Amino acid sequence: MQNQILIEMKAVQKWYGGYQALRDVDLTVRKGEKIVLCGPSGSGKSTLIRCINRLEPIQQGSIVVNGHGLDDSIKAIDIVRQEVGMVFQSFNLFPHMTVLQNCMLAPIRARRISKSEAEAIARKYLERVRIGDQAEKYPAQLSGGQQQRVAIARALCMQPKVMLFDEPTSALDPEMVKEVLDTMIGLANDGMTMICVTHEMGFARQVADRVIFMAEGQIIEEGTPDAFFRNPQHARTRQFLGEILAHH
Amino acid sequence: MTPHFGLPEFGFLLRGLQWTMLLTLVAFVGGCTAGLAVALLRTCGHKGVEWITRIYIGMFQGTPLLLQLFVVYYGLALTGLKLDAFVAVAIGFTVNASAFLGEIWRGAIQAVPRGQTEAAMALGLHYSSRMRDIVLPQAIRISLPATIGYLVQLIKGTSLAAIVGFIELARAGQIVSNQTFQPLLVFGVVGAMYFILCWPLSWWGSRMEARLALASQR
Repeated sequence: MQNQILIEMKAVQKWYGGYQALRDVDLTVRKGEKIVLCGPSGSGKSTLIRCINRLEPIQQGSIVVNGHGLDDSIKAIDIVRQEVGMVFQSFNLFPHMTVLQNCMLAPIRARRISKSEAEAIARKYLERVRIGDQAEKYPAQLSGGQQQRVAIARALCMQPKVMLFDEPTSALDPEMVKEVLDTMIGLANDGMTMICVTHEMGFARQVADRVIFMAEGQIIEEGTPDAFFRNPQHARTRQFLGEILAHH
Repeated sequence: MTPHFGLPEFGFLLRGLQWTMLLTLVAFVGGCTAGLAVALLRTCGHKGVEWITRIYIGMFQGTPLLLQLFVVYYGLALTGLKLDAFVAVAIGFTVNASAFLGEIWRGAIQAVPRGQTEAAMALGLHYSSRMRDIVLPQAIRISLPATIGYLVQLIKGTSLAAIVGFIELARAGQIVSNQTFQPLLVFGVVGAMYFILCWPLSWWGSRMEARLALASQR
């Protein structure tokens, strides 16, 4: 089966001043696909997903999200951001709002739905990440793992077509990694399209359809988890896998 | 016969105090409104606009307030615009306050972590919502001690208005002192009035600062 294409990046080039962060990146993501992006730090993996919802502008190439071309116009950026949810390494919850308000704000402001409707949606997704009983608390009153699950619920409340995860477990204490990964696995099993920048190779094996390895701003190699871990083609990939798997 | 410092003189000082408070209120409210605009323009991301705002702030921070009051009062009179002393000093203090408060809030807006804006953008929130719902509520909290500190400076600074003939508390004290030849008593009372106005604010400001320091430790 060939599902509909949700994200298509073609020949994307990005520079920070004189430094080239992305080199000629091509990536196609189909509906329902789960992709894990890995690579050494500075390889451009975070930059790549941040270009998809235009947190970073690109200098050359094209990005199409769910049929909408992404250019510099506010309208195009708006449309794309409504289709794409994002979860950050440092959670980035709004500290002056309760968990429930964090989840209700964007649907009310950006989707212009009523307060009661937004609250119903927020409560539904907070339940789904199993944190419904904390809805009235402020982020600072929650553990890191709970905060990250709220951040996932907050993104889901916009009912995005694709979810981007930027190292969602890297800032967590080890005992909290599992609760966040379990939430992500649940989301994957429900059929959400996901691109995850992560070093959690267990997660990659369990849910990824494809694992993509990046270095120096380029996609070096990609494949099914099985092929990727058992039989990496490039020396650079083998070296990276040797380094990270040594700790597991 | 020279009058002694009595109730009528005290009443005169109280009226001066009222003018000081009114001038402070007008300058602070006006300065907050214009200062918010200055802070937003200063952080808007457009190079040219940010540059112009920077010059605006620099101009008022880099020249004496006294000079700015002269320019408004005598300078505008030269162009044929004769302003009432109160209106002139109110304009002078408001514009000056807009530059100082604008700079305080510029710092506070930039002190809100970048991740907050990024999360808001990723959620599809527009600039107006990002500012109103996310950045400004946090920036105001951050800037509260400095803002209160500025308000205290402003209250005391309004005594400069005397220079263009506006009778506020300090000028009222001078007049009463000249009439009664009791400078120590009169300026003691004047000082006490300023103190009663400023000290609770200073105390509130430092308490805010302590609470913010505590909150950022969490």
